[in-house]
Amino acid sequence: MFRKLYLLYGALVLSTAAFGQYRGWSLDTVNQLKNVPKSVRDNPGSYRSVYSGYHHYTGGK
Amino acid sequence: MSAGLPPPSGPPKPQVKGLNCPQCGAAIALRSFGQAVTVVCGSCHCILDAKDPNLAILQQFEIKTSDIRPLIPLGTRGKLRGTDYEVTGFQRRSIQVDGIMYCWHEYVLFNPYKGIRYLSEYNGHWNDISICKTLPTADFSGATYLGESYKHFQSASANTDFVLGEFPWQVRVGEQAAVTDYVHPPRVLSSEKLDKEVTWSIGEYMYGREIWDSFKLPGDPPAPMGVYENQPSPVSLNVTGMWVAFAAFAVFLLVLMAVFDMRAKKEPVLEETYQYNRADARGEPSFVSDEFALGGGTSNVQVKTSAPVDNHWIYLNYALINQDTGQAWDFGREVSYYHGYDSDGSWSEGKRTDSVVIPSVPPGHYYLRIEPEVDPTLPATPYSVSVVRDVPVFGIYGIAFLALLVPVVIISFRAYTFERSRWSESDHPPMELSSMSSGSGDGE
Repeated sequence: MFRKLYLLYGALVLSTAAFGQYRGWSLDTVNQLKNVPKSVRDNPGSYRSVYSGYHHYTGGK
Repeated sequence: MSAGLPPPSGPPKPQVKGLNCPQCGAAIALRSFGQAVTVVCGSCHCILDAKDPNLAILQQFEIKTSDIRPLIPLGTRGKLRGTDYEVTGFQRRSIQVDGIMYCWHEYVLFNPYKGIRYLSEYNGHWNDISICKTLPTADFSGATYLGESYKHFQSASANTDFVLGEFPWQVRVGEQAAVTDYVHPPRVLSSEKLDKEVTWSIGEYMYGREIWDSFKLPGDPPAPMGVYENQPSPVSLNVTGMWVAFAAFAVFLLVLMAVFDMRAKKEPVLEETYQYNRADARGEPSFVSDEFALGGGTSNVQVKTSAPVDNHWIYLNYALINQDTGQAWDFGREVSYYHGYDSDGSWSEGKRTDSVVIPSVPPGHYYLRIEPEVDPTLPATPYSVSVVRDVPVFGIYGIAFLALLVPVVIISFRAYTFERSRWSESDHPPMELSSMSSGSGDGE
């Protein structure tokens, strides 16, 4: 019973991994936006990244 | 002419034979015909000789507790594993281990054609027991019966505390028998030595619900407590098979990794080096890269950044923008590298390179909007940006490996704890338990 369930589960895990690779999944998170105006190409300053103003790490040990 | 043929009405139906106790005069019902050797009066608890037409008194005992009641009342009939049986006898027995008394109950079942079999119950755990048909071979470590090996579990002296009903042997309260149990879940092989006579029996674990259904008893059976000596583990049988399946899956995962690594295009679509100058960047620091095409199907896109920072940082606000659809992926990446020397020796933190993989980017024409921010103490620094399409993401395989491993580890741990609980009650407790008990004994 457990073994059959595990076989099904394992097949699902492998299928998901294969599908993810095929579709180009990633573990990194990025913010996805839609309808960015074409004017950004000519005027990059008209676009503001959501990551602007990020507080940076400013020193080592 | 009709000799040898069954009577037209079929075999005789079992009937109760009515007698009276010679001690108290209470009615005694004999249910198991000639099979009963002793019968116990339910009123005065005299043990009577069932073979004697006058029911000679063999023993009289006093009940020390009124709590002793059979869970299956005497006279109850039921179909156990396809055969009709009637409960004709009940006894409570006990062993004493390390000053603790452990009690269990045994029921005598009778069928006029199949004979006698027994049920035992201990803390909600039941066993269907019958006398062995052949003699097992046994030593201290184990026993063999019908080609099956059994491990020695426990040897103890069992006392008969209470009896009721009919028994196919000369039962006595206070009787001591040397009992030894050997287990091969779900079976238990038991030897019982009384005087010079040894009786071997074979039992098979049953769940209380099966007993209740067999005898159509009202309510619910008592919930089993702990792990019984021959209780089948819900997971043990699967552990080896699951590890084998896991190994097969791991190999398949490696193959998958190799195949996808070979078929990944890893196609460079942009590679540029830029220079950040604080003086030049006083106005709008952001700019866009050259346009590049992402061909093929939907795939991931890797953006790599490298900068020769030395105890500084550079931060880049990126946006990968589809020129045709206006769809964008916005992300920020930092490249920083710090190093030095202190009382602990030399140290370093960070890297001069960074990489991010953007998932599931459809084909099309793209450009990067880049907005650099740089450590204020750094007047100028070069940095390189490269974009590669369709790269393998090995982290997915890592997650898949863990997802495959975790259930097997959980099942193995459950199987281990189950067996540990089982054997902690035996004469051969697990190593840690035995050393713990010997350790505490030394301290006393």
